[in-house]
Amino acid sequence: MRKTLTTAVAVLGLVLALAACGSSKKTTTGASTPAKTSGATTHAASGPGAGKPAVTLGDKNFTEEYILGSLYQQALEAKGYKVALKGNIGSSELIYKALQSGQIDGYPEYTGTLLTAIANVTAPPKSAQAAYQQAKAFLETHGYTMLNPTPFYDSDAIGTTKAYATAHHLHTIADLKALGKSVKLGGLPEFRTRAQGLVGLKKDYGIDPTFVPLASGLFYNALDSGQVNVSDVFTTDPQLGSGKYVVLADPKHEFGYQNVGLIIKKSVLAAEGPAFAQTVNAVSALLTTKAIIAMNAAVAVSKQAPAAVAHQFLTANGLG
Amino acid sequence: MHSFLEAFKFIGRNGQVPGDPALPTLVHLTLETLKIAGIGVAISVAVALPLGLWLGHIHKGSFVAINLGNIWRALPSLAVLAIGVAFLGIGLRNVELALVVLAIPPIITNAYVAIDTIDRDVVDAARGMGLTGWEVLRQVELPLGVPLIFAGIRTAALFVVSTTTIAALTGYSGSLGDIINNETSYHLSGVLGAAICIAGLALVVEVLLGAVQRALTPRGLRVTGAKEVQAGATQIVTT
Amino acid sequence: MIWLAAGGPVIPTFGGRGAFACERANRLFCSDWVSRNWSSVLWPALRQHIVLTLIAVSIGFVIATALALLAYRRGWLERPVLIVTSILYTIPSLALFELLEPSFGLTRTTAEIALVSYTLLIMFRNTLTGLREVPAEVRDAAIGMGMGPTQTLLRVELPLAAPAIIAGLRIATVTVISLATVASLIDNAGLGVPILTAISNDVFKTELIVAGAMAVGLALAADALLVIAQRILTPWTRAG
Repeated sequence: MRKTLTTAVAVLGLVLALAACGSSKKTTTGASTPAKTSGATTHAASGPGAGKPAVTLGDKNFTEEYILGSLYQQALEAKGYKVALKGNIGSSELIYKALQSGQIDGYPEYTGTLLTAIANVTAPPKSAQAAYQQAKAFLETHGYTMLNPTPFYDSDAIGTTKAYATAHHLHTIADLKALGKSVKLGGLPEFRTRAQGLVGLKKDYGIDPTFVPLASGLFYNALDSGQVNVSDVFTTDPQLGSGKYVVLADPKHEFGYQNVGLIIKKSVLAAEGPAFAQTVNAVSALLTTKAIIAMNAAVAVSKQAPAAVAHQFLTANGLG
Repeated sequence: MHSFLEAFKFIGRNGQVPGDPALPTLVHLTLETLKIAGIGVAISVAVALPLGLWLGHIHKGSFVAINLGNIWRALPSLAVLAIGVAFLGIGLRNVELALVVLAIPPIITNAYVAIDTIDRDVVDAARGMGLTGWEVLRQVELPLGVPLIFAGIRTAALFVVSTTTIAALTGYSGSLGDIINNETSYHLSGVLGAAICIAGLALVVEVLLGAVQRALTPRGLRVTGAKEVQAGATQIVTT
Repeated sequence: MIWLAAGGPVIPTFGGRGAFACERANRLFCSDWVSRNWSSVLWPALRQHIVLTLIAVSIGFVIATALALLAYRRGWLERPVLIVTSILYTIPSLALFELLEPSFGLTRTTAEIALVSYTLLIMFRNTLTGLREVPAEVRDAAIGMGMGPTQTLLRVELPLAAPAIIAGLRIATVTVISLATVASLIDNAGLGVPILTAISNDVFKTELIVAGAMAVGLALAADALLVIAQRILTPWTRAG
């Protein structure tokens, strides 16, 4: 009896020891799942980034951001930098707070969203260039900056199934006004309270739909099943190319200009050296609309991991 | 501490966020949560209770009844909800289906054990007095089994309330979990406020059902749940 | 400012048109996806889940046993401990995780604290009950043999209480494995991550079902292992 008790205690001790060992290792959940922390995985031993302090980037709560985060992380690591990626942090409002509190040093952001959701700008910029300049100026007064913008832009849009559009003769967003509350509009939860969201749509187009909050990535699912009639969609969604869906026209440019630029702390940029910005800008320059849609499709439709997709893209372009 | 202060203010405002009148209120979402949970519990009780009672009465099916309890505990509610969504899509009916699946096992197992473990002598005495099987069940076994039976229903009810809030993670909106899922609009004060409400709701349900259980227990059995603890040691938790 | 690289980027085919047919159709189970993503998605999630569970159950076991031993000697402790652990157990997991977040952040610590609190009630109650159910005659016999209170505890009472203790451990372990799926919201680790990812990736059935099945399988395996452990540790109950 004493022996079995001792054995039990020994086993328990062993289990505890194993658990402690397991927890002290930095578990790299790898690049595929939007993991909160993926440690440096394949960072090169040499290059301009070798010896520089480690950087933490973050990304927001949808597929395209996961891809962008991975792209920047992997490209920098190929140049010897040590970059940790905190994935799936949340919406702009939440990730900006993470930036301010020091949890991350930077993240990829859309110029228009920064202006309306964070800078609370009410007068919309008149061009993509203007949006970028305004965003950059705002950031620089807070100790950050934004590196070069991407050629592609990804604005929100209101999409619906072809069937619904034909049945109700919908061509522009204003056509939804006549349907009143009978039309169910889906979107991310934050869409309801954003100026570049339902609030702005109500003001500019006079529509008053019933809002149905949806998880990201479920918009098309919800449109297909009828859970919603129209939905907030992203212009670079691969599903839009299938012909099943229609995007309603937005003549008032409600959703503004949305090129992507990497926000980064000025102090971090200085500490990492000039090659940091050069690497990031080289990646951004490659991101045309066609490229990003292809990558979105690989993740959202073919269900490949964002990190794997980013890796293939960078390798094909000599930056991986 | 400041965040909790803000959270209580949020609760005091009925969940309204300044500057945005369109969001669902705390009261509305709480009632919705209770409604969904209530439907789930009602359906599970209607399905599981008669089955468990009957199996216990005829003393058959112990293997199934006991192991159902073990397997139930192993089912991660998030996974069950998510798989329901995968197969059936998002919607109230599918959430209810998952809730019913999750609520049935504790009710059946506890009902079975409650009736099955009643002292055979008592049952024999009742039969000796001329009571039919049905009358034995209704007038003898059921009253004696109330503590455990109701403990099973309490466990199920609490579980269903918890799982209803998790449903928000699987894309179903319409419960207090929505607030937790939407920190962007409700802010941290809202998320904490909703968490406090959910905790409070669960505790209220637990206390209320506990009181009902005590009220239903025949006076002779109102000893501090010693039998419950015993049963709990090897079978379903009968909190 | 030059925004566009001259000539445009090379866009790889990402597997080409023929590949990923199963994923595109979102069929219930795509074995290719599983084998391709096992080492980068599924196995790390499983490993994290196991570690999360082991830590929570071990810590909970130590605390609950200590509390039970204290309450065994000082009966008045039972009620307050029961009340506190019951309240902790009753609070729904989502709420508890969120309530701990401001103080402990979005870290594994928060997840572990919440998971530990869910184990306390059942393990405390079972251990205490198990100790109390040791027949008085056996205890008296031990004292008669000259054993002191500590010796009696270690050599007689705890071994006899072992079945109840391990039953509590079983229930706690399975409960933690189940709740740890929700914990992924907090520290983004464990099997909840592929489940939540799959849901927001257009309800990707394969990932959802495989991760869900792994969580269930893990719980059943843990339960079975503990049953075996109990049979080994308490051979005298096998005959009963």
